[in-house]
Amino acid sequence: MEFPFLMILLLLPLVGALVTLFMGGQRSKYAVYTAGAFSGITLLMSIYLLFVSDLGSFSTSYVWIEAAGLTMNFALGVDGLSILMVFLTSLLVFLVVVFSSSEKDRPNYFHTLLLIMEVGLLGVYMSQDYFLFYIMWELTLIPMYFMISWYGGPRRHYAAIKFFIYTHVASLIMLIGIFALVFQSAVVTGNPVNFSFAAVLAGTAAGFGTTFQTLVFGLLFFGFAVKMPIVPFHTWLPDAHVEAPTGGSVILAGVMLKMGAYGIIRVCLTTLPEGAQTWQWVMIGLALLSMIYGAYACIAQKDLKKMVAFSSISHMGMVLLGIAVLSEVGLEFAIFQMFAHGLITAVLFMVCGMTGHNVGTREIPLLGGLAGKMPIYAAFMMFGFMASLGLPGLVGFVAEFGILYSFWDFIAETQYMWMIVFGMLSMMLTAGFYLWAMQRTLFGKLTDKVDTSHLHDVRLSEGIALGTLCALIALFGIMPSLATDFITVFTGGFF
Amino acid sequence: MDVSFIDTIFGSFVPIAPEIIMIVAALIVPALFFITKNGKVCAAFALVMIALSGALVGLMMHDGGFYGVYANLFSFDAFSALMMLLFLTVVFLVVLVSATSVETTKHQGEYYALLLGASTGMLFVASASSLLTIFVGVELVSILSYALVALKKNDPRSAEAGVKYLIIGGLSSALTLYGISMLYGLTGTLQISEIGTMIAGMSFNLPFVIAMIAIIAGYGFKISAVPFHMWAPDVYEGAATPVSMFLATGSKKMGFVVLFKIFLVLFVVAQSGFATGEMQYIFAIIAAITMTVGNVVAISQKNIKRMLAYSSIAQAGYILIVLAVMSEYALTGGLFHMFTHVFMKGGAFIVVAALITAGLGENISDYRGLSKRAPLVAFAMMLFLFSLAGIPPLAGFTSKFILFSSAIFVDGVVQTQWIWLAFVAILNSAISLYYYVRVIKAMYIEKGDSEEKLKIKKTHGVAIALCLIAVIVLGVYPGPLLGLCADAAAFFFA
Repeated sequence: MEFPFLMILLLLPLVGALVTLFMGGQRSKYAVYTAGAFSGITLLMSIYLLFVSDLGSFSTSYVWIEAAGLTMNFALGVDGLSILMVFLTSLLVFLVVVFSSSEKDRPNYFHTLLLIMEVGLLGVYMSQDYFLFYIMWELTLIPMYFMISWYGGPRRHYAAIKFFIYTHVASLIMLIGIFALVFQSAVVTGNPVNFSFAAVLAGTAAGFGTTFQTLVFGLLFFGFAVKMPIVPFHTWLPDAHVEAPTGGSVILAGVMLKMGAYGIIRVCLTTLPEGAQTWQWVMIGLALLSMIYGAYACIAQKDLKKMVAFSSISHMGMVLLGIAVLSEVGLEFAIFQMFAHGLITAVLFMVCGMTGHNVGTREIPLLGGLAGKMPIYAAFMMFGFMASLGLPGLVGFVAEFGILYSFWDFIAETQYMWMIVFGMLSMMLTAGFYLWAMQRTLFGKLTDKVDTSHLHDVRLSEGIALGTLCALIALFGIMPSLATDFITVFTGGFF
Repeated sequence: MDVSFIDTIFGSFVPIAPEIIMIVAALIVPALFFITKNGKVCAAFALVMIALSGALVGLMMHDGGFYGVYANLFSFDAFSALMMLLFLTVVFLVVLVSATSVETTKHQGEYYALLLGASTGMLFVASASSLLTIFVGVELVSILSYALVALKKNDPRSAEAGVKYLIIGGLSSALTLYGISMLYGLTGTLQISEIGTMIAGMSFNLPFVIAMIAIIAGYGFKISAVPFHMWAPDVYEGAATPVSMFLATGSKKMGFVVLFKIFLVLFVVAQSGFATGEMQYIFAIIAAITMTVGNVVAISQKNIKRMLAYSSIAQAGYILIVLAVMSEYALTGGLFHMFTHVFMKGGAFIVVAALITAGLGENISDYRGLSKRAPLVAFAMMLFLFSLAGIPPLAGFTSKFILFSSAIFVDGVVQTQWIWLAFVAILNSAISLYYYVRVIKAMYIEKGDSEEKLKIKKTHGVAIALCLIAVIVLGVYPGPLLGLCADAAAFFFA
């Protein structure tokens, strides 16, 4: 039997979670070390995957449940789409452990929750079976619920339960779509019911009806759109982010939202191509709405973290736009944007977390002139904001440029050329609110509305986490081919 | 392995051998208590006899040669054997909990005799093949459980629950008997399969419709389907917690077995074809209303036993999907859900019983800060509740997965007829998450008035651990049990 690399990659954080759980009480100072060790090894393993030439050879599949005419498999695999997400997940979890190493309140529980979340996220990105996919999808909810409830802000109970139930309903609707997809595949191919991705793709090849594709695409798309989130299904996100602890926010925005986009590409687009054609304009409409509404809402926000949360909505709308044009270029840069946004938003949420922790408030009107007191912090914040608004040379620019290019390419052939204005509008709004927020928080006279005497600059552990992310943002901004080489393997010949 | 000794011992009574063991046990227990004056001895004896009966069912099931019919009234087959295992599991857990529970340590001789007698009735129902034996079995369970409910003599709530249960149970028995007599009058037989053949050629007639309605209403009380559910919360609240657990996980499943036996055999197996569509719609509507009412009313409950009662009503609604869809795959899912429900709902009731014994109240507000006072029990309770809500990878998820998908995948085709039912079930599942999480929030997030550690009795710990293992194993590795359920369903439809 060959070496079950992906299986170990998936289960390592779970073992780490169990070990870390027992680092309570007297031993609590070791919790961060065990969590760091396990997430570190996971990160090294996923980096190793980046340098492997033949990713397909890692696929493993075991029959898990075979009863009542159903077959579920414990099937794992990585390809050009999932490899970047796996890397991003293990990177962000490791950096969150580093960043939160000063967490004093029951650190063993905090890091255990983090590692369980990592299992769920890696499982979603690596699973090749719908049953496993759904289990992993739901597995991410429980640790996030507890993380918000235990370590969150003042309205954490409301935010946690809203997050839990809202996204759970969406998952359940998605589950009905999965049922339809899997069973219909069995019907059209004449094979026994099998939940593996391959069996459903065989169903696609055998041909689903157009009506079926349209209906099921709707169900699945709703499930994924809530997770992304796409306006108007976004209302859980600002609450969850505002109340979540910094580490939770980084994971939530950095990789958990990507699950939605990943699902749309992996499930909706690959298995229901005709459905995607039918829903194309709806997707474009929702994408533009998200981009503009998200950016517009940012301007009105007083809370720095809520502003970043709304900017996530805007950027995930950008991802959906790239997907919705249904072209290879669009899809390629949508995936690249998922990766880019994961890196950038992690920086932003870490900076917001430091603001709240350090200054004692994240209210923009109460802040001002922090650059003089905390220059390194200010540098990171400016870097993050610039990357997020799409400064050329950084990773966000490449992604947004590519998506808008593909959108233009698509609408240029239609009578709706003017719609490119909406894309541009969103970019302008984004630049506007970031620069305005930066001006009000970092520059000008040092604020006298809060006590600034105890302010200190970035700690070493925080600096390491932020520095790594910023280096990667610059690296992938200058050499996007490092990432797109993986993506084109997946998108090549997709449509 | 040589199993011919079963034949040697029981002779022509082999198909009712498990029942015989339980009857003997029920008769010996009071004498045993009279001699030893020790309830623990009685409990231990009961556990041994239940295990013996269960082992016998397992052996006979393993070696299919023992499938057979006794006097045209009882039939031991793959379906009834699996249901017997279900009932024996329930009684085993109930006895295990009762041994040290403060609520059940009075009148122990009578208590265990009643419990074992009632479980004999459930075994009879499991193997009954005629309406007569079904009725007798159900009556045996009902009459003994009236006494069980009212056993906490000094508690007025218990007395009230007993009276309420007696009156409503009497009404339901009368209704079913009326329905059965109508059916007998129409067809001249009490064998369910023969009734099916007889009504196959019938056109619409009023007596048959009345009979069906009477039977649905009568057994609807047993499974606490809306609108026949009113008694359940009061009775579950008033009865001793192990008895509530017995009613919620055992007696309710018996109601389902009866409904499966009557309606699935009548309309699908015997292929009467008459009024099948209408009957399916009636059950679909009852299912949708039952789960919705159960879940919505559960939200506002403050007493945890009442909350579990309403959640039990909702779970009954989920299982009713089987009778709406009427397919083999749905029955597989339904049977599997009945098993997982025993462990998750049973587990939750055991936790409640254990905490009452440890001195904690019955209100959800009493559970505040439980994660500090009894960390392992709180963790187990959390998993039971998550399982009830259908969160993967726990048992409740896997069984709901199959049950709900059966509303979409009917007879090998993806159908849209019952997809609305799947939606209703799934939205209900989401509603239920709200009130389950409320308890979890109280245990894990809110701070309690006291930090004092709670002392949990060993037998309660063992029972909770058994349920917890089952909830996790059936969630992660459901294959073997699911296979048995599929076999039973296949046998049923054969």
